[in-house]
Amino acid sequence: MNPRAWTTKQQLERGMAAVTIVIAALAPTFLNANWTNNILTETFLFGLAASSLIFLSAYGGMVSLAQTALAGISGIILGNIVTQGGEGGVSKGLHLGWDPTLGLVLAILGTTAIGLIFGMVAARSAGIYFLMITLTFSVITTYFLGQVTNISGFSGISSIYRFTPSWIGDLVGHPNRLYYIAFGVAIFAYLLIRYIVRTPFGITLQGVRDEPVRMASLGYNVPLHRTLAFGFAAFLASLAGILYAWWSGTVAPGNVDLPETINLLVMAVIGGLVRIEGAWVGAFAFIVMRDYVRDFNVPGLSFGGTLFGGSFNTIIGIIFLAIVLVSPDGLMGLWGRLFQSGPLSRSKQRSAPQAADPVG
Amino acid sequence: MRRLNLRSWKTAAVLIVAVAGLTVAATTSLAASKAGVVKVAIMTDCKLAFGFAYEPDIGGAQAAFAQYAHGKAVNKKKPSAGMTGITAGGKDIKIVGYGCGNDTVPLAVTETKRLMEQLGADVMVGPLSGDEAVSVANYAKAHPTKTFIIGTAGSQDPTMQIAPKNMFRYHGDGAQWNAGIGEIAYKKLKWRKAAIIEDDYSFGWTSAAGMIADFCAVGGNITKRVFPPLNTTDYAPFVRQLPPPNQVDGYFSAVGGTGTSAMLKAYEQSYGKLDPKKWIGNLFFSFLGADKTVAPKVVGSYIGGFGTGPGLKTAQAKAYERKVAAIYPGLNGGNFADGFVYNYYNAAWALVQGLQKSGGALGAKLQAAMPRTLRAGYQVSNGGLVKLDSRRQAIQDQYELQLVKNADGSVGPTVVAYVPGVDQSFGGLFSPSSPPPGRTQPACKKQKTPWQGKIKVVKNGVITKQILK
Amino acid sequence: MSALAARIPTREQLGSYLTLRKAPLLVVLALVVFAFSYVLFIAVPGTGAYSWRATTFGSAVHDPGSFIRITLDSVTFAAALFIVSSGFALIFGLMRVVNMAHGSFYLLGGYIAYEIQQTLTGQGFSLQGTEVNTWEWLIPLVVAAPCIAVVGLVTQQSFLRWNQGQELRQALITIAISVIIADQIIAHFPRAASSGAQRFGGSAVDLTWPGWTDRFVNLHVAGVSYSLAKLVMLGIGLAVGIGLWLWLYRTKTGMIIRAGVDDQKMTAALGVNIQRAFAIAFAVGSALAALGAVVWASQSNISSGQDGQWLLNSLVVVIVGGMGSIFGAAAGAILYAFVADFSAAYLPSAGPNCCGSYSIIFTFVLIALVLAFRPQGLFGRPG
Repeated sequence: MNPRAWTTKQQLERGMAAVTIVIAALAPTFLNANWTNNILTETFLFGLAASSLIFLSAYGGMVSLAQTALAGISGIILGNIVTQGGEGGVSKGLHLGWDPTLGLVLAILGTTAIGLIFGMVAARSAGIYFLMITLTFSVITTYFLGQVTNISGFSGISSIYRFTPSWIGDLVGHPNRLYYIAFGVAIFAYLLIRYIVRTPFGITLQGVRDEPVRMASLGYNVPLHRTLAFGFAAFLASLAGILYAWWSGTVAPGNVDLPETINLLVMAVIGGLVRIEGAWVGAFAFIVMRDYVRDFNVPGLSFGGTLFGGSFNTIIGIIFLAIVLVSPDGLMGLWGRLFQSGPLSRSKQRSAPQAADPVG
Repeated sequence: MRRLNLRSWKTAAVLIVAVAGLTVAATTSLAASKAGVVKVAIMTDCKLAFGFAYEPDIGGAQAAFAQYAHGKAVNKKKPSAGMTGITAGGKDIKIVGYGCGNDTVPLAVTETKRLMEQLGADVMVGPLSGDEAVSVANYAKAHPTKTFIIGTAGSQDPTMQIAPKNMFRYHGDGAQWNAGIGEIAYKKLKWRKAAIIEDDYSFGWTSAAGMIADFCAVGGNITKRVFPPLNTTDYAPFVRQLPPPNQVDGYFSAVGGTGTSAMLKAYEQSYGKLDPKKWIGNLFFSFLGADKTVAPKVVGSYIGGFGTGPGLKTAQAKAYERKVAAIYPGLNGGNFADGFVYNYYNAAWALVQGLQKSGGALGAKLQAAMPRTLRAGYQVSNGGLVKLDSRRQAIQDQYELQLVKNADGSVGPTVVAYVPGVDQSFGGLFSPSSPPPGRTQPACKKQKTPWQGKIKVVKNGVITKQILK
Repeated sequence: MSALAARIPTREQLGSYLTLRKAPLLVVLALVVFAFSYVLFIAVPGTGAYSWRATTFGSAVHDPGSFIRITLDSVTFAAALFIVSSGFALIFGLMRVVNMAHGSFYLLGGYIAYEIQQTLTGQGFSLQGTEVNTWEWLIPLVVAAPCIAVVGLVTQQSFLRWNQGQELRQALITIAISVIIADQIIAHFPRAASSGAQRFGGSAVDLTWPGWTDRFVNLHVAGVSYSLAKLVMLGIGLAVGIGLWLWLYRTKTGMIIRAGVDDQKMTAALGVNIQRAFAIAFAVGSALAALGAVVWASQSNISSGQDGQWLLNSLVVVIVGGMGSIFGAAAGAILYAFVADFSAAYLPSAGPNCCGSYSIIFTFVLIALVLAFRPQGLFGRPG
């Protein structure tokens, strides 16, 4: 692209991206440990999971609620393969104690395969039906992990972070290492998505998103494209799941239950379901809100609820409601609107993705 | 190409201010430990099944800080308003935050990280529930410089299979709480064959393990185990799998906190009126508000304990209750013989003793200085001292209870049996190398437990010399 | 693009897809037939030994009594599911709003009814059936349902009305509302308990059926006596179903609503005040959540956290049955309840850890199968 053709918005965005990358790369030198080890690391890994959701929504027209479940599956596969049992080991799971690198590969491959199967079943539905069938997947995953005690049980698999590949080393003692890994993987995933959507596959996928019937009559295999897109999103989610397992150490059915599934959707929506960057913006906003909102005692907002930890969920709910009402395309949509000429009228907004249309 | 207009510059300015604010927040070194201050976090639940234990837990812990470490309650009616002026071992103790879990693992991890890393706590008093304790124990293992004193969690693993050196538990686990209940079923109710219905997760299994082990140890037989999953909507198909009342002598229940009354109602609609002589429950028949919602359905039932002796008339017990009442008179509805208050109280008290001995030093020094015995309110044996075993797990007296109707029409537990010196191993049945409690564990077998035949009858809050027959 | 255009399947390939499509369908049909015959003939009563045929009761032939009881359990549970999810289906069918706050409405309605029953009976304790008369059960219902109808109406009028047609956005708005309501329930309910121990915090409480339902009815079939309370619940479910049918198919409002389901724009163009129909449908749908809550809280209990469960239950029922149709909701409720109850009771004890505890997984896998073959659900029209 010719730099002279860049709009102000693009120039600004490139500048901000560069600044963000520099700040993120240097963050461990000047931010306190909690911000790098928790808030930013979480932003990267939850953003990664959210990006798989946004990829499907923005380019495939499918709003999936199965991404949390897929990330959880990846963490559980990893946990079962790498952890060791016995005294001082881990009491739950299969604790096979295989090589951690092999564990990584199997977790990614296994999750992608499960994603392809999910995708195959779900690809024939669209719109709100797709949302519902993917929700059913996530519920099956929750119950499966909760009830099949051999591989997880309700308490899940713990201490996964003690069994990392030797080329990665100790992540608990060196949280900066995990920070940079998460950062690197996030950038890799972002670039990969950008690449994929420009390939013939990606372009066809966008055609399928906009005009499934027409694309089918042109001879494109619509379900196949949807399935492959779902498989790719599952691959992204599997990376997020591995990072989460290394960050938290524990992966449990509680990680993939309905509230967590909705949390990921909330992150994606806060960021904006139309642009990949929104994934990390949304994750960051959500995590900062979750950790800091409760410290503010907004007069008049306590609703008598301070009895139980400040009722910060109410405040988060109100903020979320405000974002959805003001800008259906989230923070990225707000950003985009800064550059729109003319009055801000609601009717001009692009409604949140096509996925909402009851096609198919 | 579009130009930026005035409105967008205003918005941009707001954004920049917000970003700048965040940067300041991020760089300000919140987590750096100020010399001379010991940062303590209290981890409990504020949502879902155990949400209402938030104030009782915090109140229990802070009552001990007030009693033994000069703390001043900000609000006598609302412990979570905070406590100031706590000092021990020459250091100020600052309560940096209260954890707000919901009985699930992921939130326990996130809250633990928030308390220990964002707020920089050195010591945690908590958590509340079984699976939370499992994940916190694993966290403790990875962070040996921090010290963890379990609040009132009943799963076995944290001090059995995982057993990190920086984790302490001054109360029994879910199995210990039920020690002796099987012998009561066998001797007082003449049960020989029983069925058990238990929640399908670690606390349910651990609690049931205590009942099964104790009942089988004296010669009883468990003919059926039924496992309704957590968050079951309809208990009917699970209750139907219990043998009908003419095929067993009785039923043990380890279902709860929220499912207990739903399960019992489903039983009533399948097999008719509940017979209190045919039901034995765990603490979920009486504690956690169940005295209002569950207990009235099964007045007269024997139930497992919570490590406390409600209405026990020993001087030590009365002193404990007086001390809590002096700080938070209305805490937990004035019911201090509840593990939520008592166990958090003891955890915080042990911490104060540890800090006094270590001179305020933290990490390994504090862990070495943590008391190995504690003069806990309801302890009688061992000279009134709860003793920790080699895995830092309490060997504690237990009290088995019966639900009775009080004069005012309310229903509550009363102590009927005193079980001295219950340890975690149940006479060798459980060990770090044995499988943890699960759907098939422990197997039902006759064996010898240390307290077998030594359980004493308690009448009107007084421990008699009479052995339970 | 051209590279992909070359991948157009030939006619032969298309033909083979079609026959391949049939194979899984046949497999599923075979499995269904097997499941029926397993429950009816194959299973044998368990004797403690592990076997793929060993179940708690044995087949219907071995133990017709248990079979009838479990069938009744399923039907009555389906009635409760139907009451709650019919409201969800009504709202979705007319307005295409996936009301994610349905579970929160359910919970709020249940707690309001609990407070009123406690106030009426002056107890503050769990009640025995004999302490509650019919009015003390009906009045909480009659108060709670309109309360929730108003909550629903306010939600619809102030947040959803001006976002019509944006399905995802409306779903997100209702998610936000459900987060707020669920949190406020924890802060304010239950209130009636006299002692401080379990006030607030959304702890588990239950309503009580009126005393006269607290007995068993002899059905004179295979010696089965069955709980009258559960039969009453079935009756309420049937009444709701018939009432909705009469309303939708025999009144003018109902006709407008059905016309709206078929073609919103056309109906509006004919000069019908469809906004009024929307408002009524949303209020009625929300009130049904409260009615369902009163019924199920009497049958079982309510506690915070069940909002998610009941949202899930409603979603599943409506997904399986086919969205937006009352018959679909009924079919979905029946299928869900039967699969859930029968799999819990009839999965074999084929090993120490198998299989009864996997019933819930079994249930949801079956639901996924229904969706795989009929994405629009049993009674849904292809979109």
